[in-house]
Amino acid sequence: MSQFFNQYFNFNVMGEHFGEVLVGFLQNLLVFAVAAALALTWGLVLALLRQLPGKKPMPIRFVTIAYIDFFRAVPILIIILMISGGVPFLSFLPESVRIPRWFGRPDTFWYGVTALVIVYGAFTAEVYRAGIEAVPRGQMEAARSLGMSHFQAMRHVVVPQGVTKIPAPMLNELISLLKDTTLISVIALSESVLVSREVLSERLNSSALTLTAIFFVIIILPLARVVDKLIARQQLKITRGSHIEVA
Amino acid sequence: MSKIRFTALFAVFLVALTALVVAGCGGGSSSTSEESSASGGGGGEKLTVGSDIPYPPFEQGKPGNYTGFDVELMEAIGEKIGREVEFQDTSFETIFRDVGQGKFEAVASAATITPEREKEVAFSDPYYLSEQAILVKEGSEIKGLAELEGKTVGAQQGTTGLELGKEKANAGELRPYPEGPDAINALKAGTIEAVIIDAPVAQNAIEEEGGVEIAEKVPTEEEYGIAVAKDSTELLKEINQGLKEVISDGTYTTIFEKWFHLKPPKQFQG
Repeated sequence: MSQFFNQYFNFNVMGEHFGEVLVGFLQNLLVFAVAAALALTWGLVLALLRQLPGKKPMPIRFVTIAYIDFFRAVPILIIILMISGGVPFLSFLPESVRIPRWFGRPDTFWYGVTALVIVYGAFTAEVYRAGIEAVPRGQMEAARSLGMSHFQAMRHVVVPQGVTKIPAPMLNELISLLKDTTLISVIALSESVLVSREVLSERLNSSALTLTAIFFVIIILPLARVVDKLIARQQLKITRGSHIEVA
Repeated sequence: MSKIRFTALFAVFLVALTALVVAGCGGGSSSTSEESSASGGGGGEKLTVGSDIPYPPFEQGKPGNYTGFDVELMEAIGEKIGREVEFQDTSFETIFRDVGQGKFEAVASAATITPEREKEVAFSDPYYLSEQAILVKEGSEIKGLAELEGKTVGAQQGTTGLELGKEKANAGELRPYPEGPDAINALKAGTIEAVIIDAPVAQNAIEEEGGVEIAEKVPTEEEYGIAVAKDSTELLKEINQGLKEVISDGTYTTIFEKWFHLKPPKQFQG
């Protein structure tokens, strides 16, 4: 038992490597910030493509649905490995795209961000879709009868209402996105888990991993409480007799 | 109507999943019971050996069918001491902790004997002398360790190659990959410019796949040893004895030549 505690709760090891692990964790946060911004945008694009009306955009809808289904099914770890191992060999791309070192970040950073955006775009698209579909049909019909195009109606009427219904499920996606940034350690980006494992191989002690876990808990716990609050607020609206919200 | 159908579908899915899980566990437990009955057999007790696989040519192959220099050497030693050897794949960074905790009895994983590691585990007599190689792409401008300054360099997590990189290379970025082959792949992809890795592994990468070359071999006076838990003194004695016999009867030379296409150093020739 004492061995267990020494292995995971050795405060000397945590103290001595605090700085390194923190720098690694900031790398996680940076990946998260970039990936979250891009995934939220990409997801909305996907959701809108999926909602295109009529017969003509059928192929677009089909491809979008196939994309969303596929990337929700494939483990992110595999996507990360495939992108970092495959993109550098796509010789038709210019070198600055094959091995991106934009904004002073290493290529592994961008491979990781790309993989997360590809996958989380699919997940957030489904959340947007739930929001859009929860807006009563009459809203779209009314907007169209006022002479707006489908896109204008989406832009000014449906989407603004739809997004007010989804902050709670969207935050859940963002929380798992933040945690999944640790998967990029597999392609040797120096984020917190990789740094902790370095400490582990140096000191033969896992306490740095515990420290990493604590960092994540500190960031994510408040977010989880925000989700609770948001859900409670939605519930309150329903009991007040406003129209039924999305689950 | 559709709600009922959905519920039914979901139920079928759940049942199928449960069946799968149960079947999986069943398979697992039956295999462990086989192992325990085999190890209960007295004299021929299995010697479990932890190793980070793949690390060709030292360890490679699929579960149940591992091969490589370390594997064949351990099997030869096992034969001498009358124990069947069973390899287990594990992660190198935790390997010494795990052998200390008794997850397996010995470690044969191209492991260099270092004073730090000797604090945690006991090592056998050396069974291999190693050099580190600076592996680069064919035609690279990098000619050796001294020219890695400012470059992006890869190595495997927890290895001497990574230590060498930290201490002597002064690289712009030093990337610790989870497995050696990951680093070599990244080198071929062009995302890193050099890999510091055990010379035989580098040699193997050149022979198996090509496209890369050794810029410089750096002697590190590294010796590989078989590690056991500190209190396994009896086992350590047996392994040392077995190793001596394997060297003196020429089995060592045969295995060495098979995997490295070279003659072994003098002290390992029978």
